[in-house]
Amino acid sequence: MKKKVIGLIDGQSGNIGSINKAIKDIIKGRPYRLKIIKGHFNYSSFDKIILPGQGAYATLMSNLKKLKIIKPLKEYLENNSSYLGICVGMQILSDWGYEDKITRGLGVISGDIKKFRNKKLIIPHMGWNTINLNNDDTIITNSFDKKDFYFVHSYIFQNIKKSDVLAFTLYGQKFPSIVKKGNIYGVQFHPEKSHKHGLNLIKNYILKS
Amino acid sequence: MLKTRIIPCLDVIKNKVVKGVNFKNIRVMGNAVEMAKYYSLSGADELCMLDINASYQNRKTFIKTVESIAKVINIPLTVGGGVSDLRDITDLLNAGADKVSINSAAVKNPKLIRQASLRHGSQCIVVAIDGKRHKNKMKVVIKGGREITKNELITWAKQAQSLGAGEILMTSMDTDGVQNGFDCNMLKKVTSNVGIPVIASGGVGSLEHFYLGYLTKSTGLLAASVFHSRKYKIKTVKKYLSSKGVPVRL
Repeated sequence: MKKKVIGLIDGQSGNIGSINKAIKDIIKGRPYRLKIIKGHFNYSSFDKIILPGQGAYATLMSNLKKLKIIKPLKEYLENNSSYLGICVGMQILSDWGYEDKITRGLGVISGDIKKFRNKKLIIPHMGWNTINLNNDDTIITNSFDKKDFYFVHSYIFQNIKKSDVLAFTLYGQKFPSIVKKGNIYGVQFHPEKSHKHGLNLIKNYILKS
Repeated sequence: MLKTRIIPCLDVIKNKVVKGVNFKNIRVMGNAVEMAKYYSLSGADELCMLDINASYQNRKTFIKTVESIAKVINIPLTVGGGVSDLRDITDLLNAGADKVSINSAAVKNPKLIRQASLRHGSQCIVVAIDGKRHKNKMKVVIKGGREITKNELITWAKQAQSLGAGEILMTSMDTDGVQNGFDCNMLKKVTSNVGIPVIASGGVGSLEHFYLGYLTKSTGLLAASVFHSRKYKIKTVKKYLSSKGVPVRL
């Protein structure tokens, strides 16, 4: 049987160690292969791509540009291929990011990434918070509803279509914590830091999608 | 709703968790990797580990310990102690730390906060502040409280925020190690003057102390002895807090 190939993009935006290890543990003894993407790649040679990220939107976009990852990634996403974006890896699916400077995103899911509106909030939104599912999904099943995941971010997805929001979280306001369009998923929290529920989510993504 | 974080803190020499009051009578409490694993499994929301004897020789083993811990836990890991420059920060992040805490080095060279947060993002830069009352003023101290700096506590906390700190780890040297409770007065002063998360540290001895810490608007509550000595399990603390209406991850 041909092994499915999972690509993990190293966008030099934070450490990929935890997610790398989580994926390796999941695919051990299963028909999958993990490849780290550090530069231009052939979009048709991957079955799934995961892009973790920390830090700023503009930084990740410019890193991906420098690494020549933007073009093949766009082609990959335009084919509605399977993708999981984590934190900033989710945010860059939007049209525009407003962190530091206004930056064009991948434009896959309409909307903008802007700061939390409430000025009295403690920022970053750091710690464990609950996700509330709008719909049940093949990967993000009911079992994740009302569970806590680890967040650390100051910017959120805004002006997004309701139908693209799979789960939301409350922090001073409602904001999208999981977005989905076709086979493209994005999570605002860090599943790789979210103990067993987080690992289950990554496992579901890899094995069920 | 955002949960209040319960954070066990490991004071580490090489690969051992130790406990010593004012660096005297240092006692080994256990193996750092084993203890980290135990806390991660038993409901800690985050883990903090500090190299309390960051000499050149000990450092190598300490970094190996960070690597081993990062491999066995899947909750956020903050690492500090002896961080003196950008290189140290990069080394710790590469070893698997999610956040690095800077203390004395930031006091001596505040620009380090800005450089570090620009390079790695504010979310992974924690400024650890040790505070102490001196002549009716709250001052910043370094070297475990032995040296009082000219920095006024609140001014420094605000400055750390504006330089790009993502979080403040606030320890009161007036209450640390005594187990009479957090320095709530000092913590309230800090939380009401900054807009970034504050972790309360120093002095927990009872369940009620955790609750009083929560009331200071600190979003993380750090403790060492009560957990290492097995006086309380993390679950016990969380159940107690939950019964008082504090949002926690159960």
